[in-house]
Amino acid sequence: MLRNMGKIVSSGLVMAIAVSALAGCGGGQKAESTTAAPAAESTTAAPAASDSKETEAAGTDSSGGGVEITWWAFPTYAQDGDNPAGTYEQEIIDAFQAKNPDITVKLETIDFTSGPEKITAAIEAGTVCDVLFDAPGRIISYAQNGKLVALDDMFTDDFVKDVDNEALLNSCKSGDSYYMYPISTAAFCMAVSKNALEDAGAMDCINLEGDRTWTTEKFEEMMQKLYDAGYMGATVYCSGQGGDQGIRAFVTNLYDSSVTDNAVTTYTINDEGGVKAMTKIKEWVDAGWMLNGSAYNGGEDVDQFVAGNTAFTTLWSPGLASQRAETLSENGIEAIALPFPSEDGVPAMEYLVNGFCVFDNGDAARAEASKKFIYFMCNDEEWGPKNVVKTSVFPVRQSMGDLYPGDEEMKFYASLTKYYSPYYNTIPGFAEMRTYWFPMLQAVINGDSEPQAALDDFVAKANQSIENAK
Amino acid sequence: MRPKKINKIRMRETLVSYAFLAPALLFFLGFVLVPMGMGVVTSLFRYNMKGMTFVGLSNYIAMFQDPVWQKSLVNTLFLVVGSVPLTVFFSLFVAALTYEKHPVTRSFFRCVFFLPVVTGTVAVTVVWKWIYDPLNGILNWMLKSMNLIQRNIMWTGDKKYALWAILIILITTSVGQPIILYIASLGNVPKDYVEAAQVDGANDLQVFWRIKWPSLLPTTLYIVVITTINSFQCFSLIQLLTSGGPNYRTTTIMYYLYETAFKRFEYGFANAMGVVLALIIGAISFVQFKALGGDVEY
Repeated sequence: MLRNMGKIVSSGLVMAIAVSALAGCGGGQKAESTTAAPAAESTTAAPAASDSKETEAAGTDSSGGGVEITWWAFPTYAQDGDNPAGTYEQEIIDAFQAKNPDITVKLETIDFTSGPEKITAAIEAGTVCDVLFDAPGRIISYAQNGKLVALDDMFTDDFVKDVDNEALLNSCKSGDSYYMYPISTAAFCMAVSKNALEDAGAMDCINLEGDRTWTTEKFEEMMQKLYDAGYMGATVYCSGQGGDQGIRAFVTNLYDSSVTDNAVTTYTINDEGGVKAMTKIKEWVDAGWMLNGSAYNGGEDVDQFVAGNTAFTTLWSPGLASQRAETLSENGIEAIALPFPSEDGVPAMEYLVNGFCVFDNGDAARAEASKKFIYFMCNDEEWGPKNVVKTSVFPVRQSMGDLYPGDEEMKFYASLTKYYSPYYNTIPGFAEMRTYWFPMLQAVINGDSEPQAALDDFVAKANQSIENAK
Repeated sequence: MRPKKINKIRMRETLVSYAFLAPALLFFLGFVLVPMGMGVVTSLFRYNMKGMTFVGLSNYIAMFQDPVWQKSLVNTLFLVVGSVPLTVFFSLFVAALTYEKHPVTRSFFRCVFFLPVVTGTVAVTVVWKWIYDPLNGILNWMLKSMNLIQRNIMWTGDKKYALWAILIILITTSVGQPIILYIASLGNVPKDYVEAAQVDGANDLQVFWRIKWPSLLPTTLYIVVITTINSFQCFSLIQLLTSGGPNYRTTTIMYYLYETAFKRFEYGFANAMGVVLALIIGAISFVQFKALGGDVEY
């Protein structure tokens, strides 16, 4: 009897260890969810179950009478006060769930450093979210790889007419279908420190009238004055990958080059203007007018600017101005936003488009619920405009009107839309191209390559990336 | 007891032992062996978000011809060759100086050198980023204060210094565990042997090389193998500090693998790199076992 009891105990122990270990493994992903969504109390029947394959995203369960979807949110929305990341997003969810009790939205906040890798890994593991708020660069690359649900039915004639911007609408497309539902947009620009310019007697180099456009000649004059007064211009940041669009726009504007041709089919930045710009930048770095930024990423370049260590930054936007306003104020620095200088004084601006996409998780009910959620976030009478203002940019829908009445600075940012250049972030292989950009810049400013050779090599690799993506 | 009965008991004990091992074995299978196998298989495919196409050894051929991979290999070997001997010598040096000290002093030094190990890599890297900062870094400030440099140096952005800057951090984060192990090992060297050698007229150096060093060989083998593997897998420092720059000067194989998989979405090519890295580590570890393991007394 005792012997049998021993057997039972030892067998039970082994089973317990095995089961607890496996259970621990299974519970890991649930615990990752940063914000628990309130339980849906709906008695409304869920939309008809899809006959497509039943793939479940992380922490979601579409069984049990309601639909549960997951939203992964980058820190795009400004939070009120000292609220932690995700607080405002949860408010949106709460408002949506109040109006749609049959849908539960689970929120997970991700950051720009590790978020993209998390998405890639989750796509391959089949555990990706349903809704993502991001920009076309990544979203269209997911679409090109067949990972997203087409949103054509959301682009009604009224919506298209309301947006009335073909370039912007095209940025949401892959092939003939729309995959990103846009909500807001703004141009990337640069900013100078008024304090440094006044101290260096360089205020006459910039233009504060109208759209504040200016020339490369004036820009060069400004840098010389700053240097003579003991100021460091800006960093030619080229570490990491974030913010690469800012320095690319700076390079292309200086001598009227362009990253791609107008049809966005091939890279052209190794043209005469591009080479001249890179040559000049190298000269400015060698002269100490700008800082070799091989050790700085885009965010750190902005940090240096708002800390007063550099006199200007080539990475600025209304969103950044809003996020850094408090620090600038604490440091007593007044930032003046400007378009990039160009040889002819007419800038070609790169711009941000914020929008939502829906991942194809093989569940039509979740896809429909996701679209409903996106529609709410973008078009709800109360939350649509509020969500645009929370990112400090401008609505894509003209019917929303002026969301910043009386704000002269926002009026200036809005004026830059007329200088929008062809949007190349949706070109096939864009993600691969980005991995070649900063090494090229580093090679030039560190003297490893001549500008022409470095740009030729970059363009060859970038054009190959288009082929690789096909 | 009859032999049949004994065999039955042994069999039951064996089964129970394996049953206890089973959970760990399942994890090992699921999270190590199976992914390894999948890595080897997928390295033979052009595998990206769109799908998989069998390409045989094309990924390997492309990898060996890829100048960035070649640079990464050289950088990785530089870190391994630089960090392993320095880690061993520095750890041994510190351990030899401290193991006979008062327990409080010994604990203090152990704590100091182990601190970077228990502190998260991200926190350590952020601190080093401040130290190396070209505009406000304390290192430039100190060197300028001592008139050793005239202009600020961009430690992690200058091609002359970047890899050295990484090597220094790698060493500081690698010495903690070896120091603790060496202090323990030195404390375990039988005092009779040392005293006997001293009675026979051996000087301190002879005592160390003839008596203590042979006793330290098992520890040294472990430290060399582990430090080699860790150095080959150097990734987070690079990602957080330099992103492989300037111009691939600090790109290691692990970082290039990550960039290929997660930024270019070329999973098959990345897996080919992983397979080759594993083979290189395996081969070097084998050589280390052969070279250092022969005289090891367990």
